[in-house]
Amino acid sequence: MHIPDGFISAPVAAVGCVVAGGSVAYAVKATKKKMGEKQIPLMGVLAAFIFAAQMLNFPIAGGTSGHFVGAALAAILLGPWRGILIMTCVLVVQCLIFQDGGLFALGVNILNMGIIASFVAYYIYRGSALFGEGRKRKLIGGGLAAWFSVVIASVACAFELAISGTVPLKIALPVMAGIHALIGIGEGLITAAVLNLIMATRADLLELQKA
Amino acid sequence: MKHSFIDKYSDLDSLIHRLDPRTKFIASLVFIISVVLTPTSNWRAFALHLCLVTSLLIIAKLPPFYVLKRSLVIFPFVLLVAVFIPFLKPGEIAGSYNIWLWQVSVTYAGLLILANVAVKAWLCIFSLILLSATTKLVDLLKGLKQLGIPKVIILILSFMYRYIFVLVDEAMRMRQARDSRSFGGGRLRQLKTLGNMIGTLFIRSYERGESIYAAMLCRGFGDEIRSLRQLGFKRIDASFGVAFGLVIISSAIIFW
Repeated sequence: MHIPDGFISAPVAAVGCVVAGGSVAYAVKATKKKMGEKQIPLMGVLAAFIFAAQMLNFPIAGGTSGHFVGAALAAILLGPWRGILIMTCVLVVQCLIFQDGGLFALGVNILNMGIIASFVAYYIYRGSALFGEGRKRKLIGGGLAAWFSVVIASVACAFELAISGTVPLKIALPVMAGIHALIGIGEGLITAAVLNLIMATRADLLELQKA
Repeated sequence: MKHSFIDKYSDLDSLIHRLDPRTKFIASLVFIISVVLTPTSNWRAFALHLCLVTSLLIIAKLPPFYVLKRSLVIFPFVLLVAVFIPFLKPGEIAGSYNIWLWQVSVTYAGLLILANVAVKAWLCIFSLILLSATTKLVDLLKGLKQLGIPKVIILILSFMYRYIFVLVDEAMRMRQARDSRSFGGGRLRQLKTLGNMIGTLFIRSYERGESIYAAMLCRGFGDEIRSLRQLGFKRIDASFGVAFGLVIISSAIIFW
């Protein structure tokens, strides 16, 4: 879902940069207020964690493999603003080192996989608290949150490509959403498994987003 | 993990390597924006862009095979657009095929969009490869800081850069341990194992982050990482900037 340069038009890319810049600036302020100086090493190490976790592949059908994205996990464990900050750093490094996602398109990529994915995941996970407080609820809520974060980010990606005139929306939308609905299943199951482990071993880390 | 996994070739020596990271970053951004803004049918401007970026890649002594291999990351997106071509709005038909019961026609308008997107994406990725293969990330971050990116982001990115190696090593060790113990099992089980690995990695990373902060406090960390190497614009940056700017502007004026 990392959009390279050239696939989105200049106005869309520029709007993406402005929105991403503003949100990241706010995210820096919001996390600084909560964590102070500790923000710097902790966000840095956790961004490196997401990066490392993305290198663990798992097999999907037919010899292809997928990898974990992690935006949902970061947002669920640490809250949406810290999630945005971490995903932004991951995307910047992926762009500058692996050319995964374009430079001018970086704003749009941060918007999709950082901002949209974090907020969708966080609010679905929190919203699932309305249906009870048990362990099962948290796992299902976390899994659904991860699935929706992947699918809705891909829907946003389809809209951006369509507005740029690269692909027609009526086909881009079902294709992007369809592919990512499948990818999202892996993401959802892994996120639930991670939450399950953390609940069993360090349940205190699940309360970080409130701190 | 080999250190050269990240910013490979950035320790070569060439004219491009010696430029200030700020010069290179701004030049790349200008190049990419100029490519994206070039109108679809303007092939001569694209040719000029291609000449510019390939000559810079040659000056930087980057192995061509490496550059081509790296540029393949855009391929899935090109494929995605290619799939849509038959469904694009009707126009003059370039060719039509019968795939089973389905008549598919490819229009010139559709092909033009595909070619345009592919050319633009390839040009942009070449310039990004040029930037990242000739600049050490540490220097690039220092340059970005002087270009006005907030200090906090730069610091977080520098920490991330330092710990990527540690945590990727850790992840690879876990993967090796899993592979040497696991005999496959169902897909669901594999995902669960992966989830446990990622969860363990998260807990270890979080704890590592806390002990790093404690260590930083002990050593009196201010709010800056100081280093001996200072960036400075040299005459070569100015001449490169002027030459580069002239080519970009002329591509816009002559071929518009």
